[in-house]
Amino acid sequence: MAGRLLTYLIKISWSVQNIAVAAVVALMTCLLVFMLLYMYVKSVREKKQHKWRMISDMLINKAIFYEDRDEIEDQILASVLEAAQKLIVNRYFRKFIAGELVSAKKNISGASADSLKQFYLQLGLDKYALKNLESRQWYVKAEAIQELTIMHTDEFIDQLHTHTNDKNEYVRMEAQAAMVQFKGFDGLDFLNSISYPLSNWQQIKLLQLLSLKPPSTINIDKWFKSDNNSVVIFALKLARNYHRFELHDAITECLDHENADVRYEAIRCLNEIYTDETADHLISRFLQQGLKHQVAIARAMQNVGSKKDELFLFDLLKHESDELKLHAARALANASKEGLLSLEKYSKESEEAISQILMHIKGENAA
Amino acid sequence: MSWQTFILHLFTYGILLYSIVILICYLLIGAFSIMETRSYLHKNSFTDYRMLASSTETPSMSILAPAYNEGPTIIENVRSLLSLHYHNLEVIIINDGSKDDSLERLIEAYSLYKADYFVNQRLKTKPVKGVYRSSNPVYRKLVVVDKENGGKADALNVGVNIARSDYFVCIDVDCVLEQDALLKLAKPFLEATTQRVIAAGGVVRIANSCEIEGGRLVKVNLPKQFLPRIQTLEYIRAFLLSRMAWTKLNGLLLISGAFGAFDREIVINCGGYNSKTVGEDMELVVRMRRYMEELGEPYKVAFIPDPLCWTEAPSTYRILGRQRNRWTRGTIETLRAHKKMFFNPSYGILGMLSYPYWFFFEFLAPIIEFFGTLGLIYYCFKYAVNWEAILIMIGVICLGILYSIFAIMMEVLTYHQYKQKRDILHLVLVAILEPFVFHPFVVWSAVVGNFDLLRKNNSWGEMTRAGFAPNKKI
Repeated sequence: MAGRLLTYLIKISWSVQNIAVAAVVALMTCLLVFMLLYMYVKSVREKKQHKWRMISDMLINKAIFYEDRDEIEDQILASVLEAAQKLIVNRYFRKFIAGELVSAKKNISGASADSLKQFYLQLGLDKYALKNLESRQWYVKAEAIQELTIMHTDEFIDQLHTHTNDKNEYVRMEAQAAMVQFKGFDGLDFLNSISYPLSNWQQIKLLQLLSLKPPSTINIDKWFKSDNNSVVIFALKLARNYHRFELHDAITECLDHENADVRYEAIRCLNEIYTDETADHLISRFLQQGLKHQVAIARAMQNVGSKKDELFLFDLLKHESDELKLHAARALANASKEGLLSLEKYSKESEEAISQILMHIKGENAA
Repeated sequence: MSWQTFILHLFTYGILLYSIVILICYLLIGAFSIMETRSYLHKNSFTDYRMLASSTETPSMSILAPAYNEGPTIIENVRSLLSLHYHNLEVIIINDGSKDDSLERLIEAYSLYKADYFVNQRLKTKPVKGVYRSSNPVYRKLVVVDKENGGKADALNVGVNIARSDYFVCIDVDCVLEQDALLKLAKPFLEATTQRVIAAGGVVRIANSCEIEGGRLVKVNLPKQFLPRIQTLEYIRAFLLSRMAWTKLNGLLLISGAFGAFDREIVINCGGYNSKTVGEDMELVVRMRRYMEELGEPYKVAFIPDPLCWTEAPSTYRILGRQRNRWTRGTIETLRAHKKMFFNPSYGILGMLSYPYWFFFEFLAPIIEFFGTLGLIYYCFKYAVNWEAILIMIGVICLGILYSIFAIMMEVLTYHQYKQKRDILHLVLVAILEPFVFHPFVVWSAVVGNFDLLRKNNSWGEMTRAGFAPNKKI
């Protein structure tokens, strides 16, 4: 009985094996055909692109050397534009020419840039970009926003603004960057309404874009109350970068924020924006914080601490964390003229680590 | 039915089942890799790394480069590291008790002096003999640590103790990095909002026959020697397909020890690199993941498909054998240390997918292949030719070749480092030869690695390299 069952199972598995081998062969053939077909299509497209590049190069050239244009040049330009307009229905050409114009526009400014924008509008690429804003694919949408921003088509600001809280992070990043590029600090009004977090990457990007705009004294502290923690963090960074000393009290309030990252950023911010009372604020919150925040406070004390904080700092030297001890010792050395001497005296009566830390600080000061 | 026939069928159909599962895995890896690579390329097209390079808001990064007897090339290699594009950078060279004059060369070339430096011993290591800083402000980013020899893991732990940044990048000092490598590696950490990125890896490519000038890669060439060339294909397959697919699933277990970035806080909380294993790179990633799973915090291990790091591949069978032997022992040691996670649903993807995959298809595959082939040969000589098994074997080999060709296609369609058509043809030729020439040797080295582990041989194995001397093609 068992023998018959085994023979039956083997028969079945032999046919399974045949099917499996056939499937492998079929799959291999399909993959090979797909790869060859893909390579062929790619090479055909590359050949076409070679022709298209002549058109785009011509347009960019005419834009850059717009002053040298005479009647013959204008005729050539008209015929090139006409050829481009005929091809514009082809979506690959559209993508190609828009990409070329956009990358050229990034590197030029003034009248040449205006001329390039003119070609962009003449080809109706702005209409296609607007249409792409409705695409279901996030990268098509984000690309359209980037294109309209670089081409400085400020008549579409309202349409772009609607994407500042898009569910896709890249779409909203591009839309938010567009707002800042078009309107500078006023463009930050999207911070009032965004529900998604601003990544550190996006914050760096926005700060970088803002650094190219004239400084402004816009109302930042309203964002300290935002429900979106990343908005509070970004507002703290703005306050720190633009030295908004008048916001000191509002920043201090953020030390009691329920979110640990906000509290950490507030400590960093107070390291640069401080008054005589800052040290007291930090010390009073020290015990409620985790080690990371305590280290940040000890680090901040190097700037904001003074002789009156020596007792607190000496206490920190007894902490089990060597990192905390190191920052506390640095703060002590900076707290007053006699700070280093007091530290030396203390080190003679305490553990080995303190004397090593002292040597380290002396070395730093000497360097 | 005789017992011999029964065993034969069990053997044949067992191998068939194993092959079918591998085939399915390869198909899934291919599909996930396409998805992840497409997504990365789209995202990357919106990224301006120049912005990050000039920003003062970027997080600080410490490069940790352990060096052991690297005297002839260390000056150039350090110069290359110091020239990387990153605003907030610290370069820490750890001289792991070199017997040559590496330290003296560094002292002279970079005007180093022994500084009073407090080393925060958060990770236990062999004693530090001295910390050196440069008196020349041009080299203010440079820190050289001299320590007693303790192996790569111990040297990296010293680096972690010394580093001041929130993130550190460990590299092999003889690797050549792309100028924007750190910017690209920093991005995943900065982009994270809902998950904490605990580590990020980059693609390592083969630098043999490439043109290197002043510690920078000037021209990419396909290696002229056979072994490095075949490893080029192997690296493309591993990095562009496998690691991308695992990244898509957030199940990546390995970040190459040659180049990877880590969250320093998590590394310290996990206890740092394990100096008792020869696979310290994989073991650390697995331990970090396990730590995050046990903590219940959302996390991610990111991977960058851009070619960021170029390294010299072994060009002789002797050195290649040692390397593969060590990799095998490292894998087994890691799997053994974390066996608790094997099909353990409380570790999610890590326990249910990543670990079992490594167990069945990275650890067991060479053993099954080796003993399967031996068994087949024995049966054919002793009894009769087993055409069924031979057919399966041919199918698996063809599939392997096809998988390699698919990897070449992915390379051409994405990064296209080897521009000449001749190079692509050479790679395809290598893909066809690999199962017959290179693969059996790799399987054999892995089997020897298994035996060495059983015999408690835990040596690192000397890795002799030609090095990137100035203006030298390797």
